[in-house]
Amino acid sequence: MSAPPVAGPVDLGRGLVVQNAVGLASGTAGYGFEIGQLMDLNTVGALYTKGTTPQPRPGNRPPRVAETDGGMLNSIGLQNPGIDRVVDEYAPVFASWRCAVVVNVAGSSVNDYVHCARRIGDAQGIAAIELNISCPNIAHGMDFGVDPAQAGRLVVAVREATSLHLMVKLTPNVADIAAVARAAEDAGADSVSAVNTFVGTKLRRDDGRPVLPGGTGGLSGPAIRPLALAAVARVCEAVRIPVVGVGGIVDTDSALDFFAAGCAAIQVGTANFVDPSSAARIAAGLGARAQESSPRGVLAETSRW
Amino acid sequence: MTLDLSRAALEQGRVLDVEHLDGGLIEMTVALPLLAHRVRPGEFAQLRCSPAVTPLLRRPFSVAWTDGEACSFVFEVVGAGTRLLAAMRPGDTLDSLGPLGRGFTLEDVVGPVVCVSGGLGCAPFPILCRALRARGVEDIVVLNGAATAARLYPAERFRRGDPAIEVVEATDDGSRGHHGRVTDLVGRHLARAAAVFACGPNPMLATLAALTAELSRPETRVEASLEAPMGCGFGTCLGCALPVRARGGGSRWALCCADGPVMPVRDVAWAELAELPPPNVA
Repeated sequence: MSAPPVAGPVDLGRGLVVQNAVGLASGTAGYGFEIGQLMDLNTVGALYTKGTTPQPRPGNRPPRVAETDGGMLNSIGLQNPGIDRVVDEYAPVFASWRCAVVVNVAGSSVNDYVHCARRIGDAQGIAAIELNISCPNIAHGMDFGVDPAQAGRLVVAVREATSLHLMVKLTPNVADIAAVARAAEDAGADSVSAVNTFVGTKLRRDDGRPVLPGGTGGLSGPAIRPLALAAVARVCEAVRIPVVGVGGIVDTDSALDFFAAGCAAIQVGTANFVDPSSAARIAAGLGARAQESSPRGVLAETSRW
Repeated sequence: MTLDLSRAALEQGRVLDVEHLDGGLIEMTVALPLLAHRVRPGEFAQLRCSPAVTPLLRRPFSVAWTDGEACSFVFEVVGAGTRLLAAMRPGDTLDSLGPLGRGFTLEDVVGPVVCVSGGLGCAPFPILCRALRARGVEDIVVLNGAATAARLYPAERFRRGDPAIEVVEATDDGSRGHHGRVTDLVGRHLARAAAVFACGPNPMLATLAALTAELSRPETRVEASLEAPMGCGFGTCLGCALPVRARGGGSRWALCCADGPVMPVRDVAWAELAELPPPNVA
């Protein structure tokens, strides 16, 4: 096996060149302002923002998070300040960062996504759009992600509205993720990211009712890694555009799993909550591995996991 | 306004002592020099209970006391995370992220100060009392309530050798001190109090909020330390939402970790908070 291209810059297409293959996954890094005080954003390739909608959203009623074995369920409900504030107030700050900021856009109608893409325009500081067609915690948001034809129509509409790199984030909660990935590619997506969280639930032991008020949430964390890896491998076989792998990555070894499956880059998600330096350590770890003869060399960085 | 995390640090500390007190209370002392030097009363640390992936998330603990480079935390076993912490031995390594959150507002506090502690709500008060004394506050009373005498955090651990700190106790079963709720003791202190600081179960805090709204002077500072199921602890996962009063009526969500855990009681939407399930600290 040849060494995967995991160190140094990665060209994901249409002008999106990240300084290294490691990104912070949407929903696990906010807009960078908090986590950027606990790790050096200049050491990672990309920051994928919290899912952003046309209007501000207050988020769901708590409890919003529930821990599970090796993972966590969340039902945040896309709490975000709205696209205007992100473009007008945040993007000028993003412009001073070395990592690429990819704004994750969410909505419940084609118009919502198109509105956000147009509002982003060619704003300085925003390197690309990640289309969130897979949020499990709001009504309708996932409909686009489970039907290849609807996903394709959405991507066509947003493609016409932006000249930025367009990445489509896929849901694993679908019978055939490869079909949705192909539909996104055919509709003009520049890349796909896979996967979003898996629908899961946790029941209270006292009365059997769901811990999360909505009944279910999105499962993330190392618990989902084998599931994510299988889905990502199918996506990598199905499309020719770059695939950005995400799902339970906590260290350099688990990141390398996704490169072995064929990914061009990766995102670190829930691990950021546990150890905000995770992504920076993985970026450094991938760099160190690339210096070795084998991509699975023995000189691992000291894992905190 | 962006949350200021400039004092927060990831730090690996050595466990110095794990004391098992009466009633299931545990006081753990860990060498965490950065946290010890930076923490302010009411702020918390996110402690990692295990280097493994289960339990995955850190657990938030108020810093109860600092001594040189050592920090103490008070807790009881309520689930998998605290069970692992309770089983730690001197010499073990503990991973901390902190200090985090908004602590008690000490600026311009003169006295008298009333501290109201319910059960494990005792945690932030030893370090708070010391800070108040260091600021010259001479009149401090800690009203400490618990279900039973065994579950009362020992009075001496609030005082830590400072006789100026008065501790008055209450137990639900009458096994020590006042027979009844700790909030029963609050009323006679409120007319004089310059500040009231509280930590405990939500119903206790709601009662206190109602009492202070009625009995304390308008200028009295009344703050409570709250809790919520927490993911990251640093304002990013948006998991620890709590209802607070919105300008113009109604309520909105605030974050326990970033807007709190200490909040002015008049900002909290107590009725809405009461409708939520109790924090799942397991």
